[in-house]
Amino acid sequence: MESFLFIGLPYISIGLFLFGTIARFRSSLYSISSQSSQFLEHRALRWGSTAWHIGIILILLAHIAVVLAPGLWTGLMSNKTILLVTESTGIALSLLCLIGILVLAVRRLVFSKVQAVTTNMDLVVLGLLFVQVGLGLAVALKHKWGAAWATGTVVPYLWSILTLKPRAELVTEMPLLVKAHVVGGFAFIALIPFSRLIHMLTAPVHYLLREPQLVVWSNLSRTREAVIAQAYDSRRFFLRGFVATGAGATMLAVGVMDKLVRFFQGPKLSKEQEAALMEEKLIRIKSTVEQRELEYERLKNDYIYVCRVSDLDARVGRYFTDFEMRPALAFRDEDGLPLLISAKCTHLGCTIANELSADGKILCPCHISYFDIKTGQPNEGSPAKSPLPHLDWVIFDSQGNLLAQRNSSGVTIETKDLALLLQQGSLYIVKNLDKRV
Amino acid sequence: MFRAFSDFLSARFPVEKMNFNAMVAKKEVPVHKMSWAYYLGGLSLFFLIVQVVTGLMLLFYYEPTVSDAHASVEFITKHVSGGALIRNMHSWSASAMIFCVMAHMLTAFAMKAFERPRELIWVTGVIMLLLTFTFGFTGYLLPWNQIAVNATKVGLQSIEEIGTFLPQSLSTLPRLIRETIQGEASVGQATLSRFYALHVVVLPLLMFAVLALHLFSIQLHGMSKGVDSEVRKTEKFFPDFMIKDLTLWGVVFLVLFIVALCLPFESFFSYPLSEPYNPLGSTPEGIKPEWYFYFLYYPLEMLPFWVVFLVTNAAVLVLLLAPWIFRGTSRRTLRVLAVVITAYLVLMTVFGEQIYYIVKGGQ
Repeated sequence: MESFLFIGLPYISIGLFLFGTIARFRSSLYSISSQSSQFLEHRALRWGSTAWHIGIILILLAHIAVVLAPGLWTGLMSNKTILLVTESTGIALSLLCLIGILVLAVRRLVFSKVQAVTTNMDLVVLGLLFVQVGLGLAVALKHKWGAAWATGTVVPYLWSILTLKPRAELVTEMPLLVKAHVVGGFAFIALIPFSRLIHMLTAPVHYLLREPQLVVWSNLSRTREAVIAQAYDSRRFFLRGFVATGAGATMLAVGVMDKLVRFFQGPKLSKEQEAALMEEKLIRIKSTVEQRELEYERLKNDYIYVCRVSDLDARVGRYFTDFEMRPALAFRDEDGLPLLISAKCTHLGCTIANELSADGKILCPCHISYFDIKTGQPNEGSPAKSPLPHLDWVIFDSQGNLLAQRNSSGVTIETKDLALLLQQGSLYIVKNLDKRV
Repeated sequence: MFRAFSDFLSARFPVEKMNFNAMVAKKEVPVHKMSWAYYLGGLSLFFLIVQVVTGLMLLFYYEPTVSDAHASVEFITKHVSGGALIRNMHSWSASAMIFCVMAHMLTAFAMKAFERPRELIWVTGVIMLLLTFTFGFTGYLLPWNQIAVNATKVGLQSIEEIGTFLPQSLSTLPRLIRETIQGEASVGQATLSRFYALHVVVLPLLMFAVLALHLFSIQLHGMSKGVDSEVRKTEKFFPDFMIKDLTLWGVVFLVLFIVALCLPFESFFSYPLSEPYNPLGSTPEGIKPEWYFYFLYYPLEMLPFWVVFLVTNAAVLVLLLAPWIFRGTSRRTLRVLAVVITAYLVLMTVFGEQIYYIVKGGQ
C-alpha cells in the first residue's frame, strides 16, 4: 500500500498530468481557462479569490524553491531569524488561503447564479484544496520547523521520484500528517488537467508587464488582417511543431544511444568489486566441480562412502547422492543400523526434506506427500502414489572387513561385535550388491 | 486429388492479390463494437519485437553453463548499466506477450476469424501459441535459480507420468522422451544447453517462419469481418489503422518501460527461490510454474493425470482443427464458447490456489 502511495501514485499522477494536459491542449484548446464566473458575481469573488491566490502562489513558490535549491534553502534556514520569519509567514499565508477558500466555497454554495455554473469537479477541487492546505497548516503547527527538516526528508524523496529512482522509504516513516500532505499533493497534480486547475499553466503573467490595451470592435479590414495573421500563425505553428518534434526525437535518440552504449560497454568495476565477483564465480565453479567429481566417483567405484555409522541420526537424515546421482537420505534405524531411503519424490521428482516427523514420516514440500520411512509408503490421498525405495548398503571396518550388509534378501550381520560396528563401522552404498558381495 | 490440393492452395494464396495495392493500399479494417480485438495481434507482435531486442541484448552477457548462468544473470542485474531494466523488460514483456497471444486467440475464435479462406492463418496462430508457451518454458530455466530448475524438473517429470497409463512394452517410452529432452538422467548442464539452444535459436527461427506466413496471409486476405451482421463502416488499414496501432504500441511501451523500471519481476518470489540452484539440498517450498501455466498446473494437481493429459491433447487438436469443426457455427455461439473458456482461464489463473485448497482440503 505504501509503495503504491509513494511510488505508484506519483508516477500515475505525473503521467496523468502530462498526458492529460497534452490531450486537453490538443483536443479542446478552448476549454483551457479558469472558467471565470466574475461576471455572475464579483463582490465575494474579489475577497475570496484575491486572498486565495496571493496565499497559494507564494506558498507554492516557496515549495518549488525548496525542491529546486535545497542547498541554498538549508543555508538560509540555518539562520534562526530567517527560519522563524519563513515559518510564521507560511502559517499566515496558509491561513489567508483557508479564509479565501472558505469565502469562495460559501459563494459557490450560496449564490444561485454561480451555483448554476458549478460542476461536481469544482466542488471536489474546492474540498480537496481546503483539506490539502489544512494538512499543510497542521504539519506546520504540529511538526514545527518543516522549512528546515524538509530538505533532508521530503526533498530527497521528490528528487528520487523525479530521477526515476523512487525511494519510498524516505517518507514512509514520516508522521501521518506529512504523508497525507505528500499524497494530497500528488493527487492534485493528477487533477490539474481534468479541472479548472489547468488555468495555472496559462496564467497570463505577461498581463502584468505589457502595455495597457484598448479593446475595439472589429470591421472588415480588421477581419482581413486577422485572416492573414492566422495564416502566418499556422505556418509558424508548423515550424514550431517541426522543430519541437525534431528536438524531441534527437533527445530520445541521444538518451537511447547513451543507454545502449553504456549497456554494451559493460560496467566499470573497482578492483574490490571485480575480486568479489571473481570469488563468487570460483565458488560456483568449485561446486560444479564437486558435482562432476561425484559423478566420476560413481562411474568408477563400486562402493561409495556415505558416512560413519556413528554419525547417523534418527531424527535428521543425511543427504547423499546415489549411483544415479539422485538424492537419498541416511537415517539411523531403531536397531542402530542404517536406513537408507531415496529422497526423490515418486510424484514429480522433488527432493524430500530430511527432518523426520514425530510419527516417523518425511515430507515432500512440493505437493505435500508424507512418506513413512519404514515402509516408504506415501500417506493416504497424497499426490505421490508409489513408495520411496530403500537403498542397499554395506558396512566395513577400517581394515575393509565386511561387518554387515543389506541386500534384496534382507539385513545380515557378519560380526559378533555389534558395538564395534556401531562405533567404528563405515557406511557405503553399493553399485549392485548381489553381484559384488 | 492433386487438383483439389492445388485449388486449396490457390484459394489460400491468391497470386493476383500479391501486390502492394491489394495488400496494403486497399486493405480496409471493419469498424464495429469488437474492433478493439484487431489490435491484439499487433500488440503480440510488438511484444515479440521487444523480446527479440531485449533478448539479443541479454545474450551479450548471459553464459549458459551450470556454474555461470546464475552468476551472469546476477551480473546483468547488478552491474551492467541498464541491465536490470533490460532483464525486467524481457520478463515482463514475456508475460505480456503470452497474455496478448491468448487474448488474440480467444477473440479471433469469438469473431470466427478462421472462416474460409483464413484457415491457415488460424492454424499458424495455434502453432505460434504453442511456440510461445515453449518459449516461456525454456526461458524459465535459463537463470538457473532454485525455482527455475525445480519447476522445470517438475514440468519434465510429468511427461514420465504418461508411462503408467501405457501398456508394459511402451511404459519406458515417456522416460526415454524425458531423458532425450533433458539430455541426461536429471536436469543438468545438458538440459541447460538444450533449452538455451531452443530458446535462443530454434524457437525464434521457427517463430519467424510461421509468423511470416501468418502476417503475409493476413495482409492477403484482410481482416475478417468479425461480426455476423453486415459491416457498415470500415477504415483504411494504411495509414489510419496503422497509426492507431503504432500509437498504442507507443503507450504500451511507456507502460512496460515504467513497470520494468520500478518492479523487478522476481519481487513476486520469496527470496530463497531466486538463489542459485543447489543440487544437493532439499527442494524449497513454493515451487510453482509461471502464472500462464496455472490453467494447466492446478488441474494437474487436482485431477488424475490421464484426465488432464487427454483433455489437453484433445483441446490442442480441437484448436488446430477449429476452422473445420466450427465451420457452420454462428459467431454468437462461438462468442459464448469463448466467454466460457475465458472464464475458466481467469478462474484457474487467479483463484487456482484457493480452488486447490477447497478441493484438497487443508490450509
